[in-house]
Amino acid sequence: MATTTTAPALELAGIDMHYGYVRALDSIDFHVGQGEVVGLLGDNGAGKSTLLKIMSGAHRPSSGTVRVHGKEVELHSPSAATHAGIQMVYQDLALVDALDIATNLNIGREILRPGLFGLLGFVDHKAQRKRSEAELDKLGVRTAAMTRPVEMLSGGQRQVVALARSATRVSGGHNGVLLLDEPTAALGYEQTQVVQALVRRMADQGIAIVLVTHNLQLASAVCDRMVVLNRGRKVADVATEDTDTDHVVGWITGARGSMFD
Amino acid sequence: MRGLIFLRDRGIFVLWILIIAVFAVWANPYFATLNNAILVANAAAISAIFAAGVAVGIICGALDLSIPGVAALSSCIAGWMITTGLPVWLALVVGIVTGALVGFVNGVISLRGFNPIIVTIAMLSITSAAASIIAGGYTFPGLTQLDFMGTQRYLGIPAPVWITAGVFLVGTVFLTKTRDGIRLMAVGGSAEAVRRSGIHSDRYKVLAFVISSTCAALGGLVTTATVTEANPSASPALIFTALTAVALAGVSLVGGRGSLPRVLVGALVLATIANGLTIKGVQPYWATGVTGVLLIGSLALERWVTASVSRRLMATAQASVHTGTR
Ligand SMILES: Nc1ncnc2c1ncn2[C@@H]1O[C@H](COP(=O)(O)OP(=O)(O)OP(=O)(O)O)[C@@H](O)[C@H]1O
Ligand SMILES: [Mg+2]
Repeated sequence: MATTTTAPALELAGIDMHYGYVRALDSIDFHVGQGEVVGLLGDNGAGKSTLLKIMSGAHRPSSGTVRVHGKEVELHSPSAATHAGIQMVYQDLALVDALDIATNLNIGREILRPGLFGLLGFVDHKAQRKRSEAELDKLGVRTAAMTRPVEMLSGGQRQVVALARSATRVSGGHNGVLLLDEPTAALGYEQTQVVQALVRRMADQGIAIVLVTHNLQLASAVCDRMVVLNRGRKVADVATEDTDTDHVVGWITGARGSMFD
Repeated sequence: MRGLIFLRDRGIFVLWILIIAVFAVWANPYFATLNNAILVANAAAISAIFAAGVAVGIICGALDLSIPGVAALSSCIAGWMITTGLPVWLALVVGIVTGALVGFVNGVISLRGFNPIIVTIAMLSITSAAASIIAGGYTFPGLTQLDFMGTQRYLGIPAPVWITAGVFLVGTVFLTKTRDGIRLMAVGGSAEAVRRSGIHSDRYKVLAFVISSTCAALGGLVTTATVTEANPSASPALIFTALTAVALAGVSLVGGRGSLPRVLVGALVLATIANGLTIKGVQPYWATGVTGVLLIGSLALERWVTASVSRRLMATAQASVHTGTR
């Protein structure tokens, strides 16, 4: 749950975004706290992906401010966002198919062997496998043997590996922010359950999570709070327990008036 | 399932053993002798070095076509230096460094968004022209100073075989055990994945070109040592032999996949076929034809295995998410 005493993990204020004459976002305020899962909902073209891209540094807003743990930051590139502890999980996952799970999870933060071999750049495969096993255990997802190539995993298992890769990178020193764009779009019922449980567990470990989805059932099951966008404007921002799907659908379609008018 | 994967990963070894068995019977008693084995190894050695260069390039997602030119340039530089009386070690070092530099230039230009195939074709022309200019229209003959890495034998095994063994040992350890090698393979598989892991994938692309060209330079120097003559003519056949060995080894041309030991066996398969048919007095063009048939056969096999594997995966995927077993 969000801790009220500390600043939100990520906070956006007065975000405007224009694509030429198209106004994709209109003074959006948004925040997500440590250990909180916030669902970002809205119809096609509502501006969800645009807002997520601003959080991940892929786009720069026309105006507005971004704060990470209370400190104002300029997210001028994805690597600046990564540096600030914000990780985006893209729908295309971007895993290295021919390499095994452990290597995929460890690339970019390899453990070298001690001594002379380490100086020569030799990787400690065993230690890496152990660390990844421990990390996946902590997240409660032991999908398959660590030595299995990613190409031999099912869609759900691949999604789990991609999520875990991002989770292990944001939960380092301080707790980071994970941005998920439609993580279950391509998954069947059971695999969606697995991913849903994983998202919940990542939040329980203190990671702040923003989840874009069209799946209302998933949103009400996993989110602490839901934010609804309609044509670039925020029309609702409610705790999941204080609302129901009928209301949310109303906000999404525009049948229900904005909470803020 | 396991059998299929074994076939995909080790098929080339099985094929080689089959070919050896066939010739052992058919070309008895001349084929299956220690002496002939050494001949085959020696014949495979040089093309295997070039194949290693081609393979590393392809694994990282770039086919380096400048290899014959680089080989000619390095040997002519070394040949010229030795002929003018400079120390042999210096000539060899300069030859190798030239190769590495050409690879670096190839890599840096390709990164600017130019098609690597065109870039390396241009570099093929440039390097072979440079080789001819250095040689002034002739060759550098009589380089007997290089015998130690050409015709000399150590423990009964010719020098090129030792060199090739060294190249493949170092290369395999590099690609499978070290951080940079693993990243290089990862870049070939998905540059985007590597970039999102916070690594500069460009660096590894350049590294692959450098390794590729360095192998080309080494191959050129060993060739020079074997024939004791540095020749400025860049033979395009060289790249095709190397590519054949690489393709037989099942190195996917899409990148990110492949293993050097298999490439070595690929080169050995080609040499074994040529040797066996020669012993039987069959015309050499038959060997070329057989190689072509094998190549298409191996492609067909690979397609079939891949399709079968993914079909079975579909069947087991649902279950495995929950049981956590493989
Ligand atoms: N690169 C762009 N150039 C111009 N207009 C754009 C661009 N990207 C998005 N838009 C516009 O901005 C608005 C918001 O788009 P966005 O992609 O954020 O919607 P979304 O909520 O993610 O929709 P979906 O559910 O379909 O993914 C849309 O009107 C869209 O047409
Ligand atoms: Mg979208």
